Amino acid sequence: MFEKILIANRGEIALRINRACKEMGIATVAIHSTADAEAMHVRLADESVCVGPPAASQSYLNIPAIIAACEVTGADAIHPGYGFLSENALFAERCQKENIKFIGPSPEAIRLMGDKIESRKVAAKAGVPVTPGMAGCAADVDSFRTEAARVGYPVLIKASAGGGGKGMRAVENESELAAAIEAAQREAQNAFGDDRVYLEKKIVNPRHIEFQILADEHGHCIHLFERECSIQRRHQKIIEETPSVALDEKLRRKMGADAVKVAQAAKYSNAGTVEFLLDENGSYYFLEMNTRLQVEHPITEMVTGIDLVAEQIKIAAGEKLGKHLNNISQNGHAIECRIYAEDADNNFMPSIGKLLLYQEPVGDGIRVDSGVAAGSEVTIDYDPIMSKLIVHAHDRQTAIANMIEALKRYNILGVKTCRYFLTKILQHENFAKGRTFTNFIETNMTNMPNSSNGMESYNELAAAAAAMLSSRNSILLYSDIDDLHPSPWQLLGDWSIGSSISG
Amino acid sequence: MAEFEFIIGDRTYLTELKQEAVTTVIKVDDLEFSFKELSPGHYEATNKGKQFSIAAVKHRGKFLIDIDAMLFEVSESGQEEFGADSSAHAAEKDKVYAPMPGKIVKLLVEVGDRVSEKQPLMIIEAMKMENQVNSPASGIVKAVNASVGEQVDTVSAVIELEIE
Repeated sequence: MFEKILIANRGEIALRINRACKEMGIATVAIHSTADAEAMHVRLADESVCVGPPAASQSYLNIPAIIAACEVTGADAIHPGYGFLSENALFAERCQKENIKFIGPSPEAIRLMGDKIESRKVAAKAGVPVTPGMAGCAADVDSFRTEAARVGYPVLIKASAGGGGKGMRAVENESELAAAIEAAQREAQNAFGDDRVYLEKKIVNPRHIEFQILADEHGHCIHLFERECSIQRRHQKIIEETPSVALDEKLRRKMGADAVKVAQAAKYSNAGTVEFLLDENGSYYFLEMNTRLQVEHPITEMVTGIDLVAEQIKIAAGEKLGKHLNNISQNGHAIECRIYAEDADNNFMPSIGKLLLYQEPVGDGIRVDSGVAAGSEVTIDYDPIMSKLIVHAHDRQTAIANMIEALKRYNILGVKTCRYFLTKILQHENFAKGRTFTNFIETNMTNMPNSSNGMESYNELAAAAAAMLSSRNSILLYSDIDDLHPSPWQLLGDWSIGSSISG
Repeated sequence: MAEFEFIIGDRTYLTELKQEAVTTVIKVDDLEFSFKELSPGHYEATNKGKQFSIAAVKHRGKFLIDIDAMLFEVSESGQEEFGADSSAHAAEKDKVYAPMPGKIVKLLVEVGDRVSEKQPLMIIEAMKMENQVNSPASGIVKAVNASVGEQVDTVSAVIELEIE
């Protein structure tokens, strides 16, 4: 087993990995940019190394600095988390060369499955259905026009190096095609340093269903069931749940077996996720494989009782999949809401600022994976995800009700968040009925009446009362003078990541 | 006891302090809310048996209130002009600002162009995402004060319009 792991990430996922390491008795090293010197992930790790200025390209993506940090601290493995270098084959290769264990798949598997075109070929060869579309990337508009006509509109332009909706554009008709290609190329170039894009048919009204995979380095591979991540805004997931209401036992077994087939065809090891689109007829198509830990991994942990980060570390240390993984079942229902600093009333524009007040909900089955505390700054330098609220209950209906209650009791002031918007989604009758498709927000949540409903005007009265109370309160803890803010560490108390994982 | 006026959006609320002890009771319109402080700025409120959690802080002259995941910005009557922030730009329809600090990746209009309301004007990249900024009004582009690749803040107008 490793003695010291360097966590090449920031925010909530760095804290999540730090916790798993601590539970396994492994020492941790945090890396940070100059902007994050005071961040929680730095404080909670055993050691920390500054790897560069705020820009991610010069810090969290700075391979030479991160390798040097490993050498200086004597870390024998690196956990990349998600985002940043987690799916960078060159980085995984460099780690291999330096004799530092990269906690993830081999560089070859990352390269193969990280390229959307190549991964489509792998899936198709393994006998797993893929969406109709281009066999390779193209740069001229004419090839796109021809292929779009062949598969039929609507189509999607996707970055070959893509992920998280970056470098992806939906095109409804030919007049939008050229502009969409250009935008996708530019976004792909900025996000991945690779502007290659291709076209595939857009599946109408799909659900996003993905399977969690664990594979050891001795050829064993299992899946830990599905997650449904159909609720997305700007092609990014905001609510995930497991089990999916759309899968019966037969379909679950079939998709799970196909997910394992894809992973095995890629000679995959460690944790990974095979994503599918499921249409209304029950046909499914391989979408892509994410060769890393997913943001939404906690819901799988809640229903299976398996600590995925711990499994990743054991696999990377050369262990075989343990006996406890032989008979996994889905226990209850889990939902995750991503808490982004963003303005749901303004096209989900990121919202920046200092957290003036931050209070997490607590209770049975509630878990908060967070990277912030009161006093933390949300800056424009990084992804605006602050935390993830996870709820586990015996059935879906209870999980939804508990999630709504937990969102209401999660108080954050200083930046805007999508909490209220999330409660509206969860209260929507189509969500309750499990009519969850990837266009859920466009279909159900846009053009909602803007005038305040009964609840909003009631709360407005309460807000006026609270303002009165606040103005009376002599303790001006959060005054106009920033210097009077208590440091996050004064407020931190005996902080820990939500409640522990239970089976 | 004391009465104060507070403003939310375009509405004014008269609040009356009824009791100040372990629980503070405040009356607004015909509703009485009882507050118990759980931690600084974090309260449990009760009204007619309904219990909910409220967070409140004073920041730059305004009260920021979080109730049931809804955010409210409240001003004290007579203090409305306090606390200028980006929403202070809302009234100026002839100037287009970046909604947040970021880099201009594309300018979709030039000086002299006729634009209609909601027409895309520029694309700003911030937090790794591209954000499209639409025209607040119909008119003619009078000035473009930044170029592609430039870092912009939320204080200076990027595009100025002559409204028709």
